[in-house]
Amino acid sequence: MPPRRVAITGLGIICPLGLNLAETWDALRAGRPGIGPIQSVDCSSLRFRNGAEVRSYDPAAHFPEGRDAYMDRFAQFSVVAAREAMRHSGIELTPALRERAAIICGSAVGGQSAIEKGFEDLYVAGRGRVHPLTIPKTMSNAGASHISMDLGLSGPTYTVSTACSSANHAIGQAFRLVRWGEADMAITGGSEALFTIGMLKAWEAMRVISPDTCRPFSKDRRGMILGEGGAMIVLEPWEAAQARGAAIYGEICGFGMTSDASHLTQPTVAGPARAMSAALREAGLAAEAIGYINAHGTGTSGNDPIETSAIREVFGAHANRLAVSSTKSLHGHALGAAGALEAVATVLALYHGILPPTANYTQPDPECDLDYIPNQPRAARVEAALSNSFAFGGLNAVVAFRAAPR
Amino acid sequence: MFQDRISPTGVGSMSDPVAEKVLATLASVKRLPVENIKLDTNLQEMGIDSLDVFSLLFELENAFKISIPDDEVRSIKTVNDIVNGIKKLLAAAPPDASVGSPSSAD
Repeated sequence: MPPRRVAITGLGIICPLGLNLAETWDALRAGRPGIGPIQSVDCSSLRFRNGAEVRSYDPAAHFPEGRDAYMDRFAQFSVVAAREAMRHSGIELTPALRERAAIICGSAVGGQSAIEKGFEDLYVAGRGRVHPLTIPKTMSNAGASHISMDLGLSGPTYTVSTACSSANHAIGQAFRLVRWGEADMAITGGSEALFTIGMLKAWEAMRVISPDTCRPFSKDRRGMILGEGGAMIVLEPWEAAQARGAAIYGEICGFGMTSDASHLTQPTVAGPARAMSAALREAGLAAEAIGYINAHGTGTSGNDPIETSAIREVFGAHANRLAVSSTKSLHGHALGAAGALEAVATVLALYHGILPPTANYTQPDPECDLDYIPNQPRAARVEAALSNSFAFGGLNAVVAFRAAPR
Repeated sequence: MFQDRISPTGVGSMSDPVAEKVLATLASVKRLPVENIKLDTNLQEMGIDSLDVFSLLFELENAFKISIPDDEVRSIKTVNDIVNGIKKLLAAAPPDASVGSPSSAD
């Protein structure tokens, strides 16, 4: 069976920029960051105060009759995003399609608040017992499982956990399941909810969190800003989408994944470069076809110069004509959901012809010398784009997108 | 216990408890003989990467009851940079009782 073209026909998102797709796009296209003082956790004992939280989210509005109590926040985000993506796609589910629908999700830390509550009960409160839902709320696959139950989809369903590359790895797997005929549709993306004191303390100890804001590629960058949220996209074979007259928002045309095999936290140039090249190769795209890269762009001293060098290595002279931005400067770094939030940002950018900026950019850095779309969004029709995710552990995952024909 | 193993070549003849503690902690973190580490040792050259430095600083925060700001960490190149940074922090503020736990502060 020859490979099938894979259309993106639905998008759903809940993130620090908005509780749905429309709100999120409004903020992305305006370059309006969702970063501010962390409200859900007392940060008085931390060296940083700011994060990108999902605000004004009401679990009971989405999960009535106490159903939210059975789901950690990260799993709720996955279902909220998946429901919106399915509505957006307009797919009518038949019994046969339900069995051929894949759900591939990414999450780095899973139900962090559930396990932390259990440990607090045990070690701090001395209760000697933890809540019976601790295990099913904590398990990293809870997001994928709840989508499956909520929407009644019963095909291949699993969660990928590769730290900050989780969602891109998930999207790449889903893309290939649809591309090679293993599934006739897929819901894929990622979700994360990491605002717990234990998690924030652990990130503080890593010394990669900015005390003010996230300034990717800017000389005065001081680290990343943690974020949370969920984003899902619906994938279908191109012909099936066309046959049902679906609106097609874009296409996934390639995926590349590599490992640095080098260091637990320090990235290499070669690993990310090989992942970008592999994505281009599978997509059958010349480097010159890429007009935009949604960068990993964490705003750390470790990532940004290395990613810049990797882009230069892959694109050569064309690197000077590429537009690159890190939307983490807007929605923060949602770890295992990052690639999903950024996939939605990238697809919307291609679809609307507006490239979201790198916010909070103040000073050029000689080590980061590409066009980062500083601060102001840019109107530009782009044929194809890459979305980069590079994880601790040296695991790189790059997704290639093509704009839908207009 | 570390003090017994401090080499004179490491800290010189003058007694410097901060330097001794830093060298001993680094030796412990990297499982190296303390004799092999000197104050002007370049951390990168001896294969000490950012994760080693963060682990070292974590132990030193416990040992000295201080909190080391992230911005101070970026300029660290040698063992002496760490020693001087800690002395500066100790001079600037009294030990922070909230840092460190009974189990990890030795």
